[in-house]
Amino acid sequence: MTSPIHDSPVVLPEENAPSQRNDKERRLTISGVIAWIVALIFFAPIFWIFLAALKTDNTILAYPPKFIFTPTLENFAALITKPNVGLYFFNSVFLSVGSVAIAIVVSYLAAYSFSRFKPAGTDFLMFLLLSTRFVPAAAFVIPFFQLFGILNFKDTYVGLLIFYVMFSVPFSVWILKGFIDGVSQRFDETGLVNGASRAHVIFKVVLPQVKPGLVAAFVFNIIFVWNEFLFNFQLGGRNTSTIPVALFTSLYDGGATNWPYVASLGTAYVLPLAILIFFFQKYLLVGMTFGTVRGEV
Amino acid sequence: MSSSSAPSSVASRLEEGIPAPAPPRAKSKKTWWSWGLLVPVLVFFILMNVIPTIWMLGLSFYNYTLTSAGDPQFIGMDNYTQLAGAGPLWLSLGRTFTFMVLAVAIQTVLGAVVGYLFWKSNKVPGRRLALTLLFTPMILTPLSSGLFWRLMLDPVFGVINYFVELVGLEKIDFTTDATLAFPAVLVVDSWMWIPFMALMTLAALGSVPKAELEAAQVDNLSFWQRLVHVIIPAGKFIIILGILLRTIDVFKTMDLVYLMTNGGPGDRTELIAVALYRLAFKSFNLGYSSALAVLLLFIAIALTSIYLFVLNLRSRREAENA
Repeated sequence: MTSPIHDSPVVLPEENAPSQRNDKERRLTISGVIAWIVALIFFAPIFWIFLAALKTDNTILAYPPKFIFTPTLENFAALITKPNVGLYFFNSVFLSVGSVAIAIVVSYLAAYSFSRFKPAGTDFLMFLLLSTRFVPAAAFVIPFFQLFGILNFKDTYVGLLIFYVMFSVPFSVWILKGFIDGVSQRFDETGLVNGASRAHVIFKVVLPQVKPGLVAAFVFNIIFVWNEFLFNFQLGGRNTSTIPVALFTSLYDGGATNWPYVASLGTAYVLPLAILIFFFQKYLLVGMTFGTVRGEV
Repeated sequence: MSSSSAPSSVASRLEEGIPAPAPPRAKSKKTWWSWGLLVPVLVFFILMNVIPTIWMLGLSFYNYTLTSAGDPQFIGMDNYTQLAGAGPLWLSLGRTFTFMVLAVAIQTVLGAVVGYLFWKSNKVPGRRLALTLLFTPMILTPLSSGLFWRLMLDPVFGVINYFVELVGLEKIDFTTDATLAFPAVLVVDSWMWIPFMALMTLAALGSVPKAELEAAQVDNLSFWQRLVHVIIPAGKFIIILGILLRTIDVFKTMDLVYLMTNGGPGDRTELIAVALYRLAFKSFNLGYSSALAVLLLFIAIALTSIYLFVLNLRSRREAENA
C-alpha cells in the first residue's frame, strides 16, 4: 500500500487564459500596495517607539514632534549600563526558555496518552486545560499570591518556573495532541508488533513526525511567557522581574516617565518578538488560537 | 501538515482495518501507560490549578481583608449576596459587555477587510515582511501597547495631538477625557486585535477548497455570490472561533486599561477584570474579590464550552466532507 502520510500540500500552478491573468496581476498590484500601506499604518505606533529610542530626552519631549532628527545610540548605551537591565533580560530568557522546555516534555507525554489511549475523562481534561487559559488572570492572582507566600515561593526562580510551566502546558497539550492525531496509529502498531518498546515508539517513531508541533509550541509559549506581566509583577520581585515588569515600574522613575529608558527597553523587548513572527509566521495561526485551529496564512 | 482533515480521515480508515481487540494483559499494560504518561501534567495541574481554584472558592466564603486585623471569618454566602447587590460591579460588567460588542464588531469587520486585502495580494513583494509588520501589534503584551500609546497620546507632546491641531482642533487629553477615554481604549484595543481577525480571515479564506473557488470563477459568479455561496460556508467556523476568542479576551482585558487610564476617569473605562484587580490589590478585600473571581471563572467556563462546541461542529463537518 502507499504511505499513509500525504501531508505536504500540493500546490497546483494556476492556468488562466493570458488575458485573464494580466487582468488579475494588475489588480494584485493595486491591492498589494494598499495591503502594504495598511501594514505600515499598523506598525507606525511601534515605529514611533523605535524612533523615540534614537532620540535624546529633549527631542522626545519636543513639540511639535520631530520627525527628522539626528539619531543617537546614547539611550542604548545608557540602557546597557543600567544596573538591573541585564538581570531583567536574563530573567525573561531564563524563565521563558526553562519553563517552556519542561512544559513541552510534560505536555508531549500527556498529548501522546490523550491521542493514543484516550483514557476516561480525556475530553473533560482537555476542556479544563483550555479553560484555565480563558480565565481572566486577575481572578487567579489572589490565591497564587497567598499560596506563594505560604510556600516561600515569592520572588524565587523555582516558584515562577513551576508557575510558567503550568502556564505553558494547556497550549502545548492542545497543539501536540492535534499533531499526534495526524500521525497514523499504524506507525505505533507496526513498531510494537516488530518488538519495539512503547518508549521507543513514543520517542523514536512518533516524536520525529510531530516536529512542527514541537517548534510551534516552543516558539509561542516562549512569546506568551516573555509577555506575561501580571503574575510576574505580583509573585516576582527584585530578583525575578522580567522585561514587562521593568517597563511598568520604569513608568514612574522618580515621579515622571523616563521616556528614553522606556523607549530603548521597549525596542529591545519588541525586536525579538518581531523577528520570531517573521521566521515562524506559518505557526502564527495555531499559536494565536491556543492550538485549536491549524492551517497556514 | 497544512490541512488537518485529510490525514486524520486516512488514519481513521486505517484504524478500522486494524483487527482484533488487544488481549487482557496488553490492555492492563495500556492502562498503565495511559495514566503513567499523564502523571507529570496532573501533578502540575493539581498544584497550579486545582489547589488555587479550591483556595479561591474557599476564600469567597470568608470575610477576609488584608488591611484589617483579625482572623478571616466564615460568612457563608454573604460575599455573593453582596456581589448580587453591588451596583458598580454590575455597571462594569455591563460596560465590559458594551466594550465587547463594539470591539468584536469593529475588529471582525475591519479584520475581514484587511485579511481579504492580503489574501488578494498574495503575490505582493515582501508579503512576509508586510504581514510581520501587521501582526506585531497583537503579539505585544497589552502592557507595552498601553505604554507605547501613552507616548503618542500625551496631552503635552504627543504626536496624536499634533495631528489633532493640524486639522484645526484643540489639544485633547484622551485618557482623562470623560467622553473620549472609552473610545481611546477601544481604538488601541482594535489596533491590537484587528490584525488577529485579519489572521483568522486569512485562515478562513485559506480553508475554502481551491476547486470550488475555481469553479466559481468559471461560472463567473459575482463577488457577493462567491462570498455567500462559496467562501462563507467553508470559512464561517474559523471566523466564529475568532469572534469567540476575542469575546473571551475582552473579559480578560486588564493590563491595557490599567496602563492607559487605570479604569478612569471615574469608572468610565473600568472593565470587569480591572474592577477585580482594583478590588483585590487596592482595597485588599480578598474574600469579596474572590467571590467576583468565581463569577468570572464561571463565565470563562461557559465561554470555553461554547468555543469547544463550535470547534467540534467544525471537525465533525470536516469529517463528513472527507
